[in-house]
Formats: sequence, C-alpha cells, structure tokens
Amino acid sequence: MEYAVEAEGLTKAYGEGRARVEVLKGVDLSARRGDLIAIMGPSGSGKTTLLHVLGLVTEPTAGRLILGGQDIYGGRWRPDLQRFRREKIGFIFQFANLIPFLTARENVLLPLDLTGVRGRAARERAAELLDYLDVADRADLLPEKLSGGERQRVAIARALANDPAVILADEPTASLDTERGLSVMRLLRRLSAEHGTAVLMVTHDTRMIGEVDRVIHLLDGAVRDPGTTAGQSIPGGFCS
Amino acid sequence: MNLAFKDIRYHRFKFFSSVLGVGLLLMVVLAIGGIIRGVIYDSATIVTETGADLWVVERDTLGPFVETSRIPEDYYHAIEVVPGVAEASPLAIGWEHVVRPPRPTPLAKFMYKNAVAGTQTMVEPGWMDVPAEERFVVIGYKPGRIGGPPALVAGRGIEADDYELVADVKTGFQVGERVRIGYHDYTVVGLTKNMVGFTADPVVYTTLKEAQQILFRPDPDLLRDRRRRFREPFETEAALAPRLAEPLARRAADLAEDTHVVNAIAVRLEPGASPEAVAKEIARWQRLEVHTAPRQVNLQLMGSNRLLILQLSLFRVILVLIAGIIIGLIIYTFTLDKVKEMAVLKLLGAPGRRIYVMILQQAVLIGVLGAILGGALEFAVEPFFPRRVEATYGDVGQMLVAMTVIAALSSLLAVRRAMTVDARSVLGS
Ligand SMILES: Nc1ncnc2c1ncn2[C@@H]1O[C@H](COP(=O)(O)OP(=O)(O)O)[C@@H](O)[C@H]1O
Ligand SMILES: [Mg+2]
Repeated sequence: MEYAVEAEGLTKAYGEGRARVEVLKGVDLSARRGDLIAIMGPSGSGKTTLLHVLGLVTEPTAGRLILGGQDIYGGRWRPDLQRFRREKIGFIFQFANLIPFLTARENVLLPLDLTGVRGRAARERAAELLDYLDVADRADLLPEKLSGGERQRVAIARALANDPAVILADEPTASLDTERGLSVMRLLRRLSAEHGTAVLMVTHDTRMIGEVDRVIHLLDGAVRDPGTTAGQSIPGGFCS
Repeated sequence: MNLAFKDIRYHRFKFFSSVLGVGLLLMVVLAIGGIIRGVIYDSATIVTETGADLWVVERDTLGPFVETSRIPEDYYHAIEVVPGVAEASPLAIGWEHVVRPPRPTPLAKFMYKNAVAGTQTMVEPGWMDVPAEERFVVIGYKPGRIGGPPALVAGRGIEADDYELVADVKTGFQVGERVRIGYHDYTVVGLTKNMVGFTADPVVYTTLKEAQQILFRPDPDLLRDRRRRFREPFETEAALAPRLAEPLARRAADLAEDTHVVNAIAVRLEPGASPEAVAKEIARWQRLEVHTAPRQVNLQLMGSNRLLILQLSLFRVILVLIAGIIIGLIIYTFTLDKVKEMAVLKLLGAPGRRIYVMILQQAVLIGVLGAILGGALEFAVEPFFPRRVEATYGDVGQMLVAMTVIAALSSLLAVRRAMTVDARSVLGS
C-alpha cells in the first residue's frame, strides 16, 4: 500500500557549534493512508518539532521526507511548499489559531478559497463540516465569541476542508472534555478510514489510546520502540 | 474573500486611528505648503490683479509697494503716447491706518497669547493685548482706468469722487460702514477679496484725488506755515505792484495745498508690444524707473519676503521628513501587528502573493484615506488662519502619490520581516 508519509533519519538541530542542540535525532516514521497514529512523549521530547517538520513548517537539518509520493527536500527541484501545504496537509494546532477577523464559517471557507473552491460548492462544504463538528449554530460568530472547545472544533473543520492526505494535529483534544475529545477522536478515526487520510496526532491523553492504530513514543528526539501497537504498550508514567 | 476588508472591519479602531494619525500629519504638511503659497500669492496679487504690464516709478526706486516713490501726476499723459502703450493710469499708494474699537475673536486672543507665551522677554507684556490700530494700503486710482479693485465680493465699485471706499474683506469693514481716514469720513461701498500688499496689509481703494488728499495733504499746522511762507515774498513786494500782490499771494498760498503727486503709473500695453522695449523707451525718455510686472512681483517676493519664504521652506522640509518617517512607522507597526495572522495564513498554505496583497491593500488604503482626510482637514482650517493659506487639490494629489509609495514601502518591509518569523513563536504550540 502506498505511504502517505515516509520519513527517514529526520534530524533537526538548532544553533551552531557548541550551542548546537539536536531536537530530532534521526526519526524514522511511516504512515499509510487511513492510519491514525498517536505521537507521545514527555514535554520537550520534540513532538511539536516533528509535526512542524512533517508539515513543511520547519526544514529538517538532515533526512528524507516523502509526502504523497513526492520527495520534498531530496529532489532536483523543490515543490511549491505553500501549495503542498494547502492541498495535501491539514493542521490542527495546540491552540485553535483561528483568524480572529473571520467568522467561524469564513475560517472554514478560507482554505477552500485558497485552493480556488468558491461559491456554492464552498458554502455547502463549510456548512457540512460545521454541522459535522456540531458548531453550525456558531457559524457566524467571530472566534472571540466562541468557547475554547468550539474554537478547536472550528479549527478541525478548517483542517478538514480541503480533504487533505495528511492531518497533523498537536494535542487537538487537550482543551476538550472527555466526551467531546472522544467524539473528535472518533471523527478523526472515521475520517482516516473513510477518506484514506493519514492522521498524525500528538496527545498526552491516554484515554484516547484505544482509538488509534499505532503509538510512536518520542524520547529526547528519538523514536523509542517504533511500531508498537496501541494494545501492547501504554506506559502510563510517560503520559502524565 | 477579501481578507483586507474583513480585517479592517474587525480592527476598525486600530485602522481608523492610523488613518487619523496619518491624516493629521498630512494636514500639517499641506498647511505649511498652503502658508508658503499664501505668502507668495500675497506678494504678487496686487501686481498681478492690477493687470499692468509695466510699473513706472521714481528713478532708482524699487516699486510703489516697496520703496517711497513720487512722480508728477501729469506724466501719465506723456507715457500714454509712447508707442505700444495702451493705457497709463496714475496711482497714489500709501499706508494708512484707522483706530477702531478692539473686537478680537476668542481665537485671535488665543493666538496672540500663544505667540507671546514663549517670547515674553522679547515682547513687552501687554504690548498688543488687543490691536486697536488697523493698518492698510490705500490705493487711489482714476475710475475707469486700471489699478482699481478687480472683482467685488459685495457692494459696488467707485464711480466718482464721493468719499467712497472699496475695501478688502480682511479690513473687517462692512458695506455701508463709515470710516474716518485723514480729515474725512468715507463710506464703504464695496468689498474685494485677497487684495493685500505683500506684507499682508489689506488694500483700501478710493479715487486718485481723495487718496492724494489722504496721503499727501499736509498737516494743518504745516499747511498754515507753508501758506505764510508762500505769501511772504509777495507781501514784501506789495509796494511795487499793489494790485497784483494780493491775487498772486493767494495763488501762491493755494500751491501750498497742491497734491498733484502720484507714486506710480501703471501701464497696460497694446497686444504684441514688448514690455522690455517699451520699458526702455519710457525710462530713456523720462527720468523714470520702469519695472515689468514679473520683475515687480519678484522685487516684492524675493526682495522683501525672501527670508520668510526660505524660512518656511526649510521648516516644510523638516516637517515632510518627520511626517514621512512617522507615517512609515505607523504603517510599519500596523502591519507588524498582524504577524500572527500572517503566520497562520502561511501555515494554511496561502500563497505569499495573497498575503502581500492583503497587507498592501490595507497600507495603501491607510495612506490614501489619510491623504484625503488630511486634505479635507486642511481645507477646513484654512479660513481660521490670519493670513492667506492656499493649499490646492494638486497638493493633495501629490500627497496621495507620496502616501501610496510610503505605505507600499513600509508595509512591504514589515511583511518581509513578518514572513521570516519562526512560526512556532507566534502559534504558541
Ligand atoms: N527554535 C528553537 N531553538 C532552539 N531550541 C528549540 C527551538 N524550538 C524548540 N526547541 C527545543 O526543542 C525541544 C523540543 O521542543 P518541542 O518540539 O516543542 O517539544 P514537545 O512538543 O515535545 O514538548 C525543546 O527542548 C525546545 O526547547
Ligand atoms: Mg508541544
């Protein structure tokens, strides 16, 4: 089966010489279409950095990254990262990071607008997503009028808008209660299954582990025990 | 979806306070330009509005408004027959004043106090608490010839020697008002606008004969003294020709009152006549000084108001630089405030062009609205200035262009900086 994400020896270092800090130390990772993968690890272990590298926000110092069959940094020419990002990648941040001057609906319309989907098709897609995430009644409010949970759900709707190949989520359920968190998880689960989207999600939340296909444990920038299935290993002390 | 307008809608206070800041700065820049233009117009207006091509004055003098000049009134007949001359008009020009009950507006009082506040050591306190003397330029002309008031904004013109005045509105006179100048009461029958000498003293028009009386008629004591001196020789010779002595003495005494003197003769040329050639001809033929109108303007402008204009010009340069820098900073910080939104847009994969366009639209809109607001404010405050201030639509147009450039440059600098900011430092993840 085709891999949605393939990474080999991803390394990210900050600083030069003696001040050099390796935040990622050769991470290998792969996700098929339809995979739901949790990334866990203590604070400072490099989870966010890994997501940013996978999401083309941060360029790795070394290593190979293949997204949707395309070698991003290894090829003779570099693909248009902005275009890649808006068409293939959906981001869900730790904080919703909605555009404050756009309503919930407009925030969901934005990625559609950026890929040239406008008019009726866009409005229907946005309405469908807002409905899906149970924020249809908040659609015309500005982010500042929404609760934290509502904001996060709008952010998820925004990430889903373009039906991306990969969704990268940094602790998306941290600000939600158990029930809503679980429903978001099930949503992501269903999404990855139905649309063949690979979902990589950083989470501290052991309650969610049961839903995922695989857990990747990061420790000091390296993958510990790769490929462990969810059922086999849930080191509770890790995920405080 | 237009991100710029959605952002403006949301951040309207920040947006409009930036527009206000830019507008106020541009108002000041436009005002100083208008003040300089006002000084230039004031220096030129009396010459250009008279419509004379040549100004004939006493030899070696600079012109009727700049230096004392006296020539015989009748010379204008001789000048009129010089080839190329269409019309020669004798003019009496001088400074007079009236004492009027003080009636300063609160604004005028405030301006005076404010002017004195920082310079008390130079100005004796109370020196001009309320100006009671109002100075003006009197111009006497022969009705029907050039040199009279150009366009009236109220009332009518002067037709004959009837103790009538046409005054500039800046004198504060009203149509129908009676004003005592010299030894007579005059009735104000009409008003002009913007007619001032180059020192900004308003102009008052009357007939040549009455102006000569106002300006040249000797003081009564002096007159009595002159009469006595003029009669004296005839009285001592009375024994020789007793019958002639008395009429001659009276005639001589009358000469003491003679005021057939003018300060300048304004000359209008026939179409096609060369001002320089005719000027040379008049100057050669009579012992007179002849200035062409442009030279006369230049004498008033550069000869007399040169330092004032240069002073204001330097101030304008400083002001333009400061306003440019501050407006640049206003727009730069306005743009940098959007670092987070720009980072999120970038993460969503917005093309760089889209982000640049959003920022540029806002910045240019601030610049353009600021220039329009600045222009509107400047035009609104113009009438409150004590001297003429004349900004033009062209000035506002210049500001529009300058603001577009400044706004584009400073916002582009800001976007370039914002785009290099590490995404995670603004996302908080
Ligand atoms: N721009 C940077 N420069 C230097 N060090 C950084 C930078 N960004 C992150 N780090 C370091 O990288 C490490 C991993 O950070 P992060 O990926 O946020 O971990 P996690 O998300 O697992 O908590 C931390 O020690 C952090 O201090
Ligand atoms: Mg993190």
